[in-house]
Amino acid sequence: MKLVTFIHQDQERIGALDNTGRIVDLERAYAGHLREAEGIPHADQLAAVVLGCDMCEFLQRGEKSLAAAQKALTYADTKPNHGNDGMILDRQRVRLMAPVPRPGALVSAGKNFSDHVAEMASKKGPAAPVAFLKLPGTVIGPEDDIPHPLEVKNLDYEVELAIVIGKPCVDVSEEEALDYVAGYAAFNDISARDVIRSENKTGIHLMGKSFPGFAPMGPYLVTADEIPDPQSLKLKLSVNGEVRQDSKLGYMIFDIRAMIAYWSQMGLNPGDVLTSGTPRGVAAGRKPDQVPWWLKPGDVVEAEVEKVGYLRNRIVSE
Amino acid sequence: MKLYLGLTENSPPHLTRVFAEMDRRLVDLNLAYAAYLAQVQGEKTNPYQLAAFYFPESIATFLQRGEPALQAFAEVVSFIRESGTRDLHGPAGEKVTYDPTEIRLLPPFQKPEKSFVIGFSDQARVEAMPKAEIPTGFYKLPQTFVTTGAPIVLPKFSQEVDADACLAIVIGKAGRRVQTAQAWDQVAGVTLLIDVTARDINRREGLTTNNLLGKNFPSSTSLGPAMLLKPARKELDAIEVELSIDGNVKQKFTLRDCVFTIEQIIERWSILGIKPGDFLAIGASMALQGDRLQNPVPLRIGSNLRCFSPAIGELSHPVVSSGGLRR
Repeated sequence: MKLVTFIHQDQERIGALDNTGRIVDLERAYAGHLREAEGIPHADQLAAVVLGCDMCEFLQRGEKSLAAAQKALTYADTKPNHGNDGMILDRQRVRLMAPVPRPGALVSAGKNFSDHVAEMASKKGPAAPVAFLKLPGTVIGPEDDIPHPLEVKNLDYEVELAIVIGKPCVDVSEEEALDYVAGYAAFNDISARDVIRSENKTGIHLMGKSFPGFAPMGPYLVTADEIPDPQSLKLKLSVNGEVRQDSKLGYMIFDIRAMIAYWSQMGLNPGDVLTSGTPRGVAAGRKPDQVPWWLKPGDVVEAEVEKVGYLRNRIVSE
Repeated sequence: MKLYLGLTENSPPHLTRVFAEMDRRLVDLNLAYAAYLAQVQGEKTNPYQLAAFYFPESIATFLQRGEPALQAFAEVVSFIRESGTRDLHGPAGEKVTYDPTEIRLLPPFQKPEKSFVIGFSDQARVEAMPKAEIPTGFYKLPQTFVTTGAPIVLPKFSQEVDADACLAIVIGKAGRRVQTAQAWDQVAGVTLLIDVTARDINRREGLTTNNLLGKNFPSSTSLGPAMLLKPARKELDAIEVELSIDGNVKQKFTLRDCVFTIEQIIERWSILGIKPGDFLAIGASMALQGDRLQNPVPLRIGSNLRCFSPAIGELSHPVVSSGGLRR
């Protein structure tokens, strides 16, 4: 299933794609199912309670909300001639937000691809997983603009895989780690390299990774059952059509299972997001750098994870 | 005046209330204001609704209401003073004032967007530390927050957990790229914060990444117990904070011991944008004990960890193992 969060008539809604690529409003469709197939009174209210009011609540409900979403899709399939009830929407009619617009924690791996570690002239990869926190408020949708901060000169991109946690997850083993994944999305870890450099003297990556709009995510939360082998996926990023990053998740130093097992020590919750780290090809790694690759207003950044989805964000002046 | 966030004995967990401390009692501001509206303003039809607007379920939302809410606060405080906390009741006779033991306190801020601790604040006293030119900081996840009384749980993955006391400057007004000259206007008040750190993990994570696992495990951030509403600027600088373990004072500082002023810190971090209920915490953990990084004082199971400030109150915690209170 491909789950989405979208804005329709100024309201944040959760939905899923049907097999023609249209968006099914899950609450409306599940209410229809309850009313017609199960004859339940107060179907609207019950649907809202079963599905939750946003993606984090939806994920907290686990199997129950997923089963309801499946029924909603089946029901919507029997109503192909949709009217104006807002149950089935063409993708052009809505604005997609990130599938998890407000993760509880956003844990982003650093130095986690062998090809990227090499380009950044680090002697070797880290001995234990390295990550930093991006502020959850930086998350934006798959087609939203990224404001170029006034303070930043070296704006960079990093295509990554976002791993969305689906169950409370504490001290899990690598073997069972993938059981805790709700699904996957494409992610772009926008980075202000000059700010990070100034922070690194005494501090840590915080501001340089967390300006507004520095975390495009989406377009869908592709549920884990559709991606049996996430470690085999390819990643690609281009700027104004020129390919900059073209690699695969196979280069991860700490793979997805290892990351989940390690970070589960801090306690992860449904709706928390881990990101994979990025492969080679970032602007900061370009050597020799005759024509700097730093992002500037007007650039269009396209980040893609195979089978998972595609982000297209324009850099705009503040 | 101090504000608290808490739950009364029978209230469900989502019905949090904002309380003010007056005459050593905690006054439910929402109901006290409803009583004021009914008795003084003659609002008999629905005083509860307006009261819920000015005194909503969180301190952060109260601050977000801005100047009108602060005016309502001033009105209700003088109303409570005139009525006396003893005889105060809601419009329908509801209980409004409580003994502090009757209230289950919560961290005064539950889900701030920006909950930052500024590092290297006290290096002026420790020459060995790298020189900070800008006030860098790290992020404490809201899911790690606890408040006074809650156990601090030592994580399984660390052999060396210690704690630093901080003053957290609470933002009351939204702003972006605030200059130092205007920074004080953004401040709503101040609360205490204990930054619990798995020092061995923190050393391994190093300085060039976020202090993540070493700073963000369950109960690694204690916040509260109250928000002291904005004092005079000079009074803020004089507020004393101390941290003790089993009664032995380990840290003691005022903001005068810190390298950066709160105005400089607000200027720096408001670059990202700040909102009511966000906070920036500053400490000077080495002001008493010297270079703790070289001479760690790890927390032990059974210890009492206490952060105290005469102006704000105390955070007091039993230290327990991850197996629970009894082990």
